[in-house]
Amino acid sequence: MPIILEIVTPDSVVFSEEVEHVVVPTVNGKIDLLQRHIPIIDRIMPGDIKIKSKKEEKILAVGSGFVESYGNKVSIITDQAMDVSNEDEQVIDEAVARAKASLEEGKKSNMDQAQIELLEAAARFEMAKKIARKKSG
Amino acid sequence: MANTRDIRIRIKGVKNTRQITRAMQMVATSKMKKAQDSARSGRPYAMLLADIIGTIADEFEEVTQSYFIERPVKHRGILVVSTDKGLCGGLNGNLFRELSKIDKSAKFVSIGKRASQYLSRTRRDLLADFSVPDKPSFADIRNIVEFMLRSYDEGRIDTIEVVYTSFINTLRQEPELIRLFPLNDLDSMVEKLHSRFQSDSSPYPKDNREILIENKDVVLAELATLYLKQEIFQLILESQASEHSARMVAMKSATDNAGSLIDDLTLQYNRARQAAITQEILEISAASFSQ
Repeated sequence: MPIILEIVTPDSVVFSEEVEHVVVPTVNGKIDLLQRHIPIIDRIMPGDIKIKSKKEEKILAVGSGFVESYGNKVSIITDQAMDVSNEDEQVIDEAVARAKASLEEGKKSNMDQAQIELLEAAARFEMAKKIARKKSG
Repeated sequence: MANTRDIRIRIKGVKNTRQITRAMQMVATSKMKKAQDSARSGRPYAMLLADIIGTIADEFEEVTQSYFIERPVKHRGILVVSTDKGLCGGLNGNLFRELSKIDKSAKFVSIGKRASQYLSRTRRDLLADFSVPDKPSFADIRNIVEFMLRSYDEGRIDTIEVVYTSFINTLRQEPELIRLFPLNDLDSMVEKLHSRFQSDSSPYPKDNREILIENKDVVLAELATLYLKQEIFQLILESQASEHSARMVAMKSATDNAGSLIDDLTLQYNRARQAAITQEILEISAASFSQ
């Protein structure tokens, strides 16, 4: 029996399909959610989500958020999610460099703590994109 | 006769005004479409978040996290979402009528110039005023949410409520007050959200199994914060959709009024012109007769 996976961001529903299982990066480590998993709610970290369905394997990059698994439904809400398999590797590399540079700059120039956190999250999301891109080959 | 010249100048002026109001109507129309779309696209996210919080509510009878517990209310904290610009019909007026019902002990935070002007004019306790751009992003409202939360944590305010203009349809917008914090009545909150979005999808059926949550208090606090942020974001988007449609309707009636004014003036102008011509002919023929 497949599970229903739903990934939702403030802008749109990114993913809503039946899948076999999904690997999610939580703050307590990666968890692999299959059917009949114990009900769980956890925070997720920026990273790569591996989705395995019957036809294919897919890797998405996500920002921070929450995952809920209940019954045969897995819901992921996150601030951003992206399919990077069609993205150019070089573009991503540049984005990573840019995000890191602006983070460094922010730390040097005594920026507001909240702003720095925001930059940090952005840098981590860029890294997540890079990792996800590598894994999806 | 100077009269025809005066009328001609007035017609010109009214035509210019009509051009401006028509342009504003067009701008408001396109902005309204965009604002409605973005207000709509945030809904699945809001529903899912509410459902997750609802799950927790079913699970734990006793939640000890401070965002979920009601405390005695000394000062209500009210966020007022108004507009920066006027010319949008009775939108702000209706909003302020809602505000005047609130008792004096409440403290206010405003979005938009109109609200901060109104609040200082009526000598209310205004903690801060913010402004948000058109088409705001999540990052734009971060400051507002953090300010509300900090005030709540420090005990300056004991509730977080929002007064905004809910978007019913293009012709109808109504002011509404929604209480977000504390989250002490989660079931009715989820229900209200479903009815507000008119969604027919019921929440995913839950049986009463135990849920595994690590660091329960941290997760709950973060979920509540996210909920607050999301809701405020959504309400701002909806207020903007209301603002633009109210402006569109106001500008449309202004354009129509200008049109009928021009018709009236043109009639007057022609009449005056005809009178002048008749007068001249009379004078000429009177002059030729007398010779």
